[in-house]
Amino acid sequence: MTKIKPFYDGLVLGGGIAGMQAALDLAGQGFEVLLVEKEPTIGGVMVGLNKVFPTLDCSSCICTPRMAEVAHHDRISVLCYTDLVRARRRNAGFEVILRKKPRYVVEEDCIGCSLCELACPYFAPHEFDQGLGARAAIYIPHGNAIPQVPVLDPDYCMLDGNCARACPKNCIDFAQQAEELSVGVGSIIVATGLRLTPMGAKKQYGGDRHANVMNPLAMERVQSSNGPYGHILRPSDGKIPRSVAYVQCAGSRDQSIGVPYCSRVCCMYALKQAIMIRHQRHDTQVTIYHMDIRAFGKGYEQFYRRAQSEGVRVVKAKVARITEVENGDLSLRVELIDEGGRVADIRHDLVVLSQGTIPGWRPEGALPLEVDDDGFFAIPDIAARPANSTAEGIFVAGVATGPKDIPDSIVEAGAAAMEAAMYLDRVRESAGEMA
Amino acid sequence: MILRVDPSITAELSQYGGDTAVKCFNCGNCTAACSLTNQESVFPRRYIRYIQLGLKDKMIGSLDPWLCYYCGDCSETCPRQAQPGKLMMASRRWLISMYDWTGLSRLMYRHEWVEVVMLALVALLVLALFTIPANFGFRLLAQHPEALRTVNLSDFAPKEVVHWGDIALASLLGFLLLSNAARMVFHVRRHAAGGAGWAFLAELREFVIEGFTQRRWRDCETGAGKHWLRHLLLVTAYGAMFCLVVVFLRWFQVENTSFHWSSLLGYYSTLVLMGATLGIMSDRLKKREQIHKDSDLADWLFVILLFLTGLSGIALHLARLLDLPLTTYVLYTVHLMIAVSMLTVEVPFGKWSHLFYRPLAMYLQAVEARRQHSAIPAGATRAPVTV
Repeated sequence: MTKIKPFYDGLVLGGGIAGMQAALDLAGQGFEVLLVEKEPTIGGVMVGLNKVFPTLDCSSCICTPRMAEVAHHDRISVLCYTDLVRARRRNAGFEVILRKKPRYVVEEDCIGCSLCELACPYFAPHEFDQGLGARAAIYIPHGNAIPQVPVLDPDYCMLDGNCARACPKNCIDFAQQAEELSVGVGSIIVATGLRLTPMGAKKQYGGDRHANVMNPLAMERVQSSNGPYGHILRPSDGKIPRSVAYVQCAGSRDQSIGVPYCSRVCCMYALKQAIMIRHQRHDTQVTIYHMDIRAFGKGYEQFYRRAQSEGVRVVKAKVARITEVENGDLSLRVELIDEGGRVADIRHDLVVLSQGTIPGWRPEGALPLEVDDDGFFAIPDIAARPANSTAEGIFVAGVATGPKDIPDSIVEAGAAAMEAAMYLDRVRESAGEMA
Repeated sequence: MILRVDPSITAELSQYGGDTAVKCFNCGNCTAACSLTNQESVFPRRYIRYIQLGLKDKMIGSLDPWLCYYCGDCSETCPRQAQPGKLMMASRRWLISMYDWTGLSRLMYRHEWVEVVMLALVALLVLALFTIPANFGFRLLAQHPEALRTVNLSDFAPKEVVHWGDIALASLLGFLLLSNAARMVFHVRRHAAGGAGWAFLAELREFVIEGFTQRRWRDCETGAGKHWLRHLLLVTAYGAMFCLVVVFLRWFQVENTSFHWSSLLGYYSTLVLMGATLGIMSDRLKKREQIHKDSDLADWLFVILLFLTGLSGIALHLARLLDLPLTTYVLYTVHLMIAVSMLTVEVPFGKWSHLFYRPLAMYLQAVEARRQHSAIPAGATRAPVTV
């Protein structure tokens, strides 16, 4: 049985960078916080990134200390692999029902030795590496995962007991069941983050068909030193790509795929990845096809110029179509507007679709919150109270309210924590007055 | 060159059914998505840019809208839903009204009711022709009571009279269409470089072939095969009908209940006219493809009139074979009321004028391409122009 307290001051939904920051900022003010994450590890999208823009700092070097801080904080409890079933208002707070999914591993006994993982003979595409590498049917999500406890994937497990025999602590439990937990909380911070637009969204790009059309998170993994290849290689044949194309607005600002808004981060991550490619492979040509480059943040315009000075080619053209040609190479059809509107088919070894961000989670009755037409949480007073949702006592941070980069998500998480703290204080004061 | 800017052009174009030009943010997706865009003609983005900038002279002088067969790929994939295909269609209407010196076309496209009134007026004129003169139509019939017992068209509409009427109508419409086409050539060529003289001769083939076959349509990626074939059949059908009526009326108009082989060709034309127009109408009701999504009254009137022409024609034919004299004469009048009004309104002023403008545009484009190729020394490239 999972042991949690019966009451927390704050419930944080989502263990990505925004959720972790909100939990830390709320706990730092003396409140008790429960952090709930649907995946088997906290860290969210950020822990899978290679570098962050515009400083080119190592992403996990920023993210993993926060993960550890959250995990070791006296006033923060973490529940991973757990979904919110529903939260109902009770007095000034909420009655929350959670569903902890079965890992088929007794978490309290596990020492994270990985022997089960090494004993397992069955493999599946590795989620953390965006399907490019493989992981066993029982696996610790990645080297920096917290907690360092494996999860068994029943879709690939053949129940032959190799892991159970290898486990020195005898903590593999094939009969484990999902667990329903009930807890009272004083306030809720929603930081449920993002998903990428599906790779098949724009059918003219064939992102779901062509082996060498990659999603940007996969490129992050490929560029990472702990990634699936250890070098920048293309998936179909392991060739070193000599020419890489970035297709901007592949998953946003496009009404034909139902995502009309700008995702805010794609221009910058494309520039960042392009620079990283140039750093690793000086002779690889990188071309960014864009409608316009949106470099809006602190140091971003300078970063854009830096990319160009490092040899990244930036071409104004919306790619209309990507066709697979010989050897898995790709041909991009564009109108070169700056060259008199010449239409050209340009060939590249590897293409990255700069997919946009869509909401990571929809409440659908689990929370009494309204969402906007685009699926992000509605913020009634965006100019004055950007972290306040449509419901009292529920606050929102990060991409859950709209596309955002890491610095903005962290700032907003702090704002949400502060709003929650003030709310909790108000509730306490009025309870004191009534007493 | 001084460019005159007319900021009212976006509002004007929306009266022709193209109200989405302002949505475009010039990403170029449409041009790259278009399977007809080539080295010589880059569209639709550049033309939409002209609209946005109010470059009316550039628009009038451009052939781009005529090169588009509206497969809809651009509209389907436009990130702004600016409907480039629909804008090309609206631009074709606008161009037709710009070429037309009478101003009727302009009135017709801006106010739908004008077209209905024009059609009705011509139809009434035809009715008057059959009812008022003493030596033609129903009053001629009064002098030949036996023609009411058994069909005899020479006692109702003598073919010499009808024949010369056909010639007169064809000449009038031909004059209107050709004079408008001359204005089109003027607008297109007024800023063009010289030295294209012999190219005009060399590319005449293109004009003839394109006019009869619309072969470029087959290069469209989406839905082209079906639409092209249906259109080609329609062309053969009304082409055959045109020949039968204008040139071979002497044989095609049979006086009594006897049968002449030329009716076989008539059957073919009728079948295709009615079948193809029914198909078009059904597609427009289903609205599955981009090309069928935005039909306005003018588009509908055209296919409905084509269909009714076929229907009244075959009904007239059957009534004659069945020896129903009065029915035959009435149907004859109705048939001509429909056909003549359709021809008079649609050929010089309306949708049907594309039968001449489109091949002419392809021809003019080919002429310009040939001139440019011969003007550029080997190895040189054209200087880029950014709009």
